[in-house]
Amino acid sequence: MLLATRGKERELIFYSILFLLAGFLILQQAGIISSFPVVHIAVISIAFLGTHGLMAYKRNNSDSYLLALVFMLLSMGLIFLYRLNPLYGEKQLTWMVLGFIVLWFTIFATKEYDKLYKYKYLYIILGLLALLTPILFGKVVGGAKSWLAFGSIKFQPAELVKIFIVIFLASFLEERKELLTFGTRKFKFLTLPDPKYLGPLLFMWGLTLVILLFQRDLGTALIFFGTFLAMLYAATGRLSFVLTGLALFVLGAYACYLQFSHVQTRVIIWLNPWPYIEGKSYQIIQSLFALGSGGTYGSGLALGYPNFIPAVHTDFIFSAIGEEMGLLGSVAIMLIYLLIVYRGYKIALQAKDTFSSLLATGLTSMFAIQTLIIVGGVIKLIPLTGVTLPFISYGGSSLLANFIMLGLLINISHKDRENYE
Amino acid sequence: MNRNVRHLFYLMLSGFTIIIIYLTYLQAYKSEELLTHQANKRLLKWENNVLRGTITDRNGQVLAKTVSVKGAKERVYPYANITSHLIGYNSLRYGKSGIEKRYNSELLGITQEELLKNFVTRVDEEPGRGNNLNLTIDIELQKLAHKLLGKDRGAIVALNPQTGEVLALVSKPDFNPSNIDKLWQQLNTQQSSPMINRTVQGLYPPGSTLKVMTGAGIAAEETILNKTYDCPGYLKVGNYKLNCTGVHGKVNFFQAMAKSCNTAFGLMGLELGKNKFFNLAENFGFNQEIPFDLPVAPSRLADLTQLTDQELAQSAIGQGRTLVTPMHMALMAAGVANLGKIMEPFLVRQITSPEGRVLREINPQQYLDLMNSNTTANLTRGMFEVVKSGTGRGAKVTGYDIAGKTGSAQNPHGVTHAWFIGFAPVQSPQIALAVIVENKGLGGKEAAPLARAIFAKALNKEVK
Repeated sequence: MLLATRGKERELIFYSILFLLAGFLILQQAGIISSFPVVHIAVISIAFLGTHGLMAYKRNNSDSYLLALVFMLLSMGLIFLYRLNPLYGEKQLTWMVLGFIVLWFTIFATKEYDKLYKYKYLYIILGLLALLTPILFGKVVGGAKSWLAFGSIKFQPAELVKIFIVIFLASFLEERKELLTFGTRKFKFLTLPDPKYLGPLLFMWGLTLVILLFQRDLGTALIFFGTFLAMLYAATGRLSFVLTGLALFVLGAYACYLQFSHVQTRVIIWLNPWPYIEGKSYQIIQSLFALGSGGTYGSGLALGYPNFIPAVHTDFIFSAIGEEMGLLGSVAIMLIYLLIVYRGYKIALQAKDTFSSLLATGLTSMFAIQTLIIVGGVIKLIPLTGVTLPFISYGGSSLLANFIMLGLLINISHKDRENYE
Repeated sequence: MNRNVRHLFYLMLSGFTIIIIYLTYLQAYKSEELLTHQANKRLLKWENNVLRGTITDRNGQVLAKTVSVKGAKERVYPYANITSHLIGYNSLRYGKSGIEKRYNSELLGITQEELLKNFVTRVDEEPGRGNNLNLTIDIELQKLAHKLLGKDRGAIVALNPQTGEVLALVSKPDFNPSNIDKLWQQLNTQQSSPMINRTVQGLYPPGSTLKVMTGAGIAAEETILNKTYDCPGYLKVGNYKLNCTGVHGKVNFFQAMAKSCNTAFGLMGLELGKNKFFNLAENFGFNQEIPFDLPVAPSRLADLTQLTDQELAQSAIGQGRTLVTPMHMALMAAGVANLGKIMEPFLVRQITSPEGRVLREINPQQYLDLMNSNTTANLTRGMFEVVKSGTGRGAKVTGYDIAGKTGSAQNPHGVTHAWFIGFAPVQSPQIALAVIVENKGLGGKEAAPLARAIFAKALNKEVK
């Protein structure tokens, strides 16, 4: 009976494992991996099913689709990383195992997550400090000074800080919800929150942005900004706040455009990459070629040429999937992300208290915005930014942060349904 | 607050939807375009795996094929220079031209339908195979036309006026497509521009050959049988003196054509007036892209603001600002031959799968409807006189009735271009052509004999 309550989840997880089996089989046939990785598959299966079993055992009533959806993404990501370079696959697998440990830890440690609520200022300070460390001690990678290196392991604090910020925002907004919604001042025709209520918030948020800009991590800055606006809207319902925020964004973006030459480059190659095929727009052009060459049905796993794209294992992994799995594959992936977003917002809607709801909304919005930004960038719908595709891109920090987010969402969902059977 | 969260969800939902729509645009709609883009290196890899299709002439003679040479693949052109512009080159480094370019997707078998099939064969380690093309070209005529131009620069276009099938397409100077990589630099810097396909990209003043069009304009206006023109050897247009090829005295329409009288046709142009003349030209295919397997440069003439009486008289005799492609002139001749209807020219008759199954068959299609049969009858009569007793006697072939028009186009580079356009036999035309020999002299002397040889060969063999 324990296991029956999460039956649907178990069923879906089996599909992910099947996918892994089929994927590794193909990779072996194609000669990309030398032998069928029984151990790896076993490890992953234990991780997937183990988590599932643990949840069932603990009578965790959280959303039964979330885990399964994420596991499917993990499987897809792992197969493709192995396909691109087995070394990346191995590393990612290691991070994944670590990620599962982090997941369990989060679920266990933050069961009473509302206690987080009390320490909000602590987070924000920790967060800012964490953001500063790369500037002081860190390495420059790809034009962005946002990495810390420990030997051969690279870590990006910004990923974790994002979560802190959301927690901080959730508690801050929860506390001041009514104040912000009704304590407004009119600036001409604009209804804006009274600055004294918004003060600390703006200060924190502004500081974060400045640090990110300093690190040249514009993608993360964009995500922060978007998440902030989303949470503000969720808390107050005031469209005018959002519109003002957007206006500020446009101004800010324009200022960045004028100030930073690499922003100018990004915009140029977004508007018309074709004159620079051999030069600055090489990467995005190759991405378009990959996606287009895949066509509707894809070239087939291991039969395409995704390695023409620079940095294909991180930012552009979506294009590799698009080439080999075709339109069917890329749309399927988008639908999985959409479903996760859907479940996330559902958790927010069903949450019993405002803080939980805000937290879930913030995490889900952040997840959605990040996905939209990176996919939009690699298909040239919007300019490119250097953020990762959650759960699929190669990168330990991103993976861990997303696992923490998953853990929090599960806890919120479970708490809400605690008394269901 | 719940309402707000819902709003956020809808917002994200629209974002995802937009992305999905754009993905469909990229991966379904634009797929072939992106896959076959010059800069997409996948094609290079692919081409190494696919056996490019074979190109044959209308009688099955191989014009291009891919053979395996010591494990590697090589594209072989049995007729080298003779078919150079028409087939084009196929270079991994420099791209493609001609039919090799235009039908690249078909030759590699990468139209959407074939995509899936060829991927499957790739997995099996068997090279996929592209499709084969069967052309309208008659290699015997092509060889002859190529030989006739000799060392001169120029172009010859021959086609079937009833269907639009192109029988011969020769441009000189030419090149050997098999050596394209080695010769590229040299070929592209040569002053004579051997890489240009003069049949469709060469723009020349048509000279007297355009009188066919001017004549059509007048014939459509009024009954011309009794009209006469007085030629003292020149035509005075305001302050300008248009010289004629001789003092012809009183001539009727047919004599004017036969003798290629500039005075008469200049007067005809003035009689039409600039508006009618301009409309006539556009109806005859000027200022537009002629639909064809290879890109055709639009023929052009002075626009209405530039058509002063002087320019009008000059345009009427094919000088002034008028420029045409040899393909266009061949089509004009074909139009007269085919009772006023120009058929769309085409080079590819059939596309077949490697196993021989016909994938696509191209059927004749009408392109322009220029004039009624009354007008064509009169024009034909005039053009017949040209060859029988006029400037085009050099094109006569015993036993057949030939119609044509000569031209000696003045141009800024010295000696006149020698032109001849025409069709045969008059009773039931099988072939229409245009010949131009650059800077060679008189059309009747230098171009008509070339046409004669081509007519003779084509008619003796009764081209089907």
